[in-house]
Amino acid sequence: MQCEVCKSAPASVHLTDVSNNQKKEIHLCENCARDKGATIKSYLNKDTNFPEFKTAQLMAAEFSESGGEDEGLVCPTCGLSYRKFRSTGKFGCPDDYNLFTKQVVQLLEKIHHKVQHTGKVPGRASSQMAVKKELNQLREELKNAIEREEYEKAAQIRDQIYTLEGRRDKRK
Amino acid sequence: MDLDHLQNQIGEWLCGLGPEADIVISSRIRLARNAAGFAFLSRANPKERSNLEKLLREKILDSEIGKTLSYFSLAEMPPVDRQFLVERHLISREHAFGKGPRGVALSPQENLSIMVNEEDHLRIQGLRSGLQLRTTWNEINRVDSWLEEKIDYAYHPQFGYLTVCPTNVGTGLRASVMLHLPALVMTGQIEKVFQAVSKINLAVRGLYGEGTKASGDFYQISNQPTLGKSEEEIIQNIESVIPQIIKFERTVRETLFDNKREVIEDKACRAYGMLKSARIINSEETMDLLSVVRMGVNLGLIPDLKVHTINELFILTQPAHLQKLERTELSSSERDITRATFIRNRLHNPRNGNS
Repeated sequence: MQCEVCKSAPASVHLTDVSNNQKKEIHLCENCARDKGATIKSYLNKDTNFPEFKTAQLMAAEFSESGGEDEGLVCPTCGLSYRKFRSTGKFGCPDDYNLFTKQVVQLLEKIHHKVQHTGKVPGRASSQMAVKKELNQLREELKNAIEREEYEKAAQIRDQIYTLEGRRDKRK
Repeated sequence: MDLDHLQNQIGEWLCGLGPEADIVISSRIRLARNAAGFAFLSRANPKERSNLEKLLREKILDSEIGKTLSYFSLAEMPPVDRQFLVERHLISREHAFGKGPRGVALSPQENLSIMVNEEDHLRIQGLRSGLQLRTTWNEINRVDSWLEEKIDYAYHPQFGYLTVCPTNVGTGLRASVMLHLPALVMTGQIEKVFQAVSKINLAVRGLYGEGTKASGDFYQISNQPTLGKSEEEIIQNIESVIPQIIKFERTVRETLFDNKREVIEDKACRAYGMLKSARIINSEETMDLLSVVRMGVNLGLIPDLKVHTINELFILTQPAHLQKLERTELSSSERDITRATFIRNRLHNPRNGNS
């Protein structure tokens, strides 16, 4: 079967368009499907699930690159396997983003060309992060104080840490 | 507030009074949010789904904005009512015809809708007439912060707001501007817009968003990437290109008007005549004729017709709206008769009905 757009390459992408209860099938070659996204959209007059379509494509590309080392990963929280994530392109719970971090970063790079969020931060998250940052800093100071054998100062820092952690526990 | 109340009004976003309203129909922004500590809906079992709907509904109604909202559960709602909400742009088609416990909280002016258990736990949508992305963002940003006081969002320092689909992660923000571009379509120049827009990572969609036809010469321009740019930057990126498209459409309209005035006038007046006389008319023909008439009104060729009357007809002549109006289920051919009658009444007496 030939591609309906360039009419030369063999069609390998098959889309089904159902609107007003009428089914319409579109057959495209890989190049036309990839390169002419906008044209196809207008040609189809639709772009159903285009993000999913794109994700699935990217996932397939990644699969061929990365081999099967992470095949066996399964999220203990929601039970989503990496294999399943790759076939659907959908996460199962917030923890998946941590579990599949390496693959997520690669995928986000391809989708968004960026991997670091720079937008809005929830108020709650920003105050929690401030506490975390302060704790890390205090732990570092504590380590230094102990190394320098300044035990009195170390004890003070330790108390500060306890207070901060206590404050965190109470907030939970 | 119930759906019948909605039926007797038309949302602020269709009033045709916003900036650049001759070409920009509306500005829309939606935020995707999920509650921390719960499975995403892609993995939630029926019980979790049902608990989530109940919990989120309570939290929304309990929030600062809650008092002004009405909540509708979609699982028990008749299909025609769900379709009605889609036609109003208040819920997505996926949400209307999805499965399981889910709902939507709506503001009375129809400029805010919060979908519960759509693809993500929450989809917060703001809608405004004309080119008003910034106002829309300020409004739903505030709503988002109010909801955040009640709901602990799933958030990651690196990836931002976590979403089911990696294409939404980060800001979770999709901003879109709906444009009416009949002159560019008529002269075959619309492809140029597609090309220009895709170069700066924006997408073009039809009237009802993802997966719909670009009927009535309506196109939605929206951002693709959601991660790595701030909300303001995403909005600015769209805002930078819209004035150029507006200018392009206006220039082509003026050229048509100057060089082929009779042709354009003939097209617009014939279309108007068809709409005023037809006894049977389907949805597609209605959209096409309304589109030409709308351009004619904007060019001052049909002085006795107000643009908001036309704007309203685009929505009020949709299948579910007609069936709600007649209070009965109508077959496709029955709808075509009802539609023609409704349009004739409106155009012969614009004050008729509920405008």
